[in-house]
Amino acid sequence: MIHATPAREAHSKPETRPDFGMQGREGAGTARREPIIELAHAGVTFATAKGDPLVAVEDMNLTIYREEIVSLVGPSGCGKSTVLRMLAGLQQPTSGDIWIGGGKTQRGFSEVALVFQRPTLLPWLSVMDNVLYPVKVLQRPTKAHRSRAMELLELVGLQDMADRMPHELSGGMQQRASIARSLILDPKILLMDEPFGALDALTREDLQLDLLDIHAETRKTILLVTHSINEAVLLSDRVAVMSARPGRMQDLVEIDVPKPRGAESGARPDFLALSQRIRDDIFGPRLSRKGRRA
Amino acid sequence: MSPALRKIVLPVGTFLSFLLGWQLLSEALDVPVYLLPSPLDIYEGGGKLGPAILSNTLETLKTILLGFVCACVVGIPLGVVVSVNRTISEMIYPLIVFLNAIPIIAIAPILVVIFGTDMTTRLIIVTLTCFFPIMVNTAAGMMDTPKEMLDLARVAGASRMGEILSVRLPSAIPFIFSGLRIGVTVAVVGAVVAEFVNANKGLGFLVTSSTAQFAIPTATACVVILAVISVVLYEAVNWAHRAFFGWSIKTKAGE
Ligand SMILES: Nc1ncnc2c1ncn2[C@@H]1O[C@H](COP(=O)(O)OP(=O)(O)OP(=O)(O)O)[C@@H](O)[C@H]1O
Ligand SMILES: [Mg+2]
Repeated sequence: MIHATPAREAHSKPETRPDFGMQGREGAGTARREPIIELAHAGVTFATAKGDPLVAVEDMNLTIYREEIVSLVGPSGCGKSTVLRMLAGLQQPTSGDIWIGGGKTQRGFSEVALVFQRPTLLPWLSVMDNVLYPVKVLQRPTKAHRSRAMELLELVGLQDMADRMPHELSGGMQQRASIARSLILDPKILLMDEPFGALDALTREDLQLDLLDIHAETRKTILLVTHSINEAVLLSDRVAVMSARPGRMQDLVEIDVPKPRGAESGARPDFLALSQRIRDDIFGPRLSRKGRRA
Repeated sequence: MSPALRKIVLPVGTFLSFLLGWQLLSEALDVPVYLLPSPLDIYEGGGKLGPAILSNTLETLKTILLGFVCACVVGIPLGVVVSVNRTISEMIYPLIVFLNAIPIIAIAPILVVIFGTDMTTRLIIVTLTCFFPIMVNTAAGMMDTPKEMLDLARVAGASRMGEILSVRLPSAIPFIFSGLRIGVTVAVVGAVVAEFVNANKGLGFLVTSSTAQFAIPTATACVVILAVISVVLYEAVNWAHRAFFGWSIKTKAGE
């Protein structure tokens, strides 16, 4: 199944976004849902050293609604990071449009915040100063910023580590700190590129559940890239499956596993059925290719 | 023996045995002093200079340190500029490489004619000798900034200047210190060259003047002092690195 955004007509002026995506085609209860991210035929083509252009993402259509968690899964190299980089403003779409709701009045991490696969804390700053980094880029941090940073460190369980240097923290703690940093300016959108990919399985499970708690508390819109189908189903409201070369939307799976979810949700039949569907989306073509060769 | 103590005792022991062996060998073989002075000859040769040795050492130290500071003041900003601005880099990099390719010992006498025989000339020579490793390492460090840190700065809304100051420069610190370590040892060489060609004091001057009078032990004593200065300055840079930028050492493996 190929998901298409409701409106197919090109729209070149992101500010004057036409009223699409609101017409209830996303399933029941859509009327309340307010779009916040829209990718319409968005594509990225890289010029390569060899000369022949590389189509990383093509005709990508996806609408993401406020307070939703959407996961982006797909084979390696299918352009997931590129989609995230487009939304973060690090990469211009070379075709199509992207639109981010709420008006582009604010800057930096108050608009979209990014969490990387590796924690990417600045090693010369204390944990507290790292959390405050997005503030410092824009202005001198105030008392309010500092107490907010402390709250966030508490939220991720690092209140005792505020004055430590990053290298004194474990990998999991560093990633928690970088999640706290992403929330410091109360961003509209949280973009996470395989945020738990570099962690061991136990820490990973721990942080996944923490992320659900953080989402319950902050109601952020989250777009999460992951390699783990289990993680995608556990965390998401919807899972967007991308296909490789060129990267485009292949399937959009509504995850209706009841909330609140926990580690035990993974054993539910509906959870397993959804995981299987996504697995088939990704691996189906490869299996059939093998079959042909045999 | 504790590891810290081992680290001191072992090399010092080796060094003392070496000196002892040298002394015994040169006495046993009766090597003439002008060919190879023994450690005791060198010690006495240094002693002959009396308090002059201290004032000349200080003079040389002054030349080294001032020249090194000039090289930092020129080299680090130049490294930053070259690494962040393509046009400027293309404009001045070849020139700088050319400047560095000039054998300093060949140009030193010319500089004396142009700038005269005072401190200025010596500083120019020292600066020319040691700014290059400092600049190149700074530039390399700036360009070695992890891409994710740059992405972080950009998404956070950092300006070009903000990116340089908040991410690139700090992340270049380990590279800059590599440059400083090389630079400070090369500065010693530059100072000696400068004193060879234009000075009436300093250890470099003492080396040439003593050699001219066949006072080989005295000249050798000055060389030993120069080597000691070199080691001490190298360690001083190391110390500054550890003391003020400890994070950039502790993040490396094995520390
Ligand atoms: N700056 C770039 N220049 C040229 N090609 C690029 C660039 N960035 C990405 N690509 C190419 O675009 C394609 C998609 O890359 P992208 O990093 O978005 O994949 P991904 O889905 O995130 O992969 P992974 O799961 O391995 O992280 C790849 O083929 C990659 O080689
Ligand atoms: Mg990726």
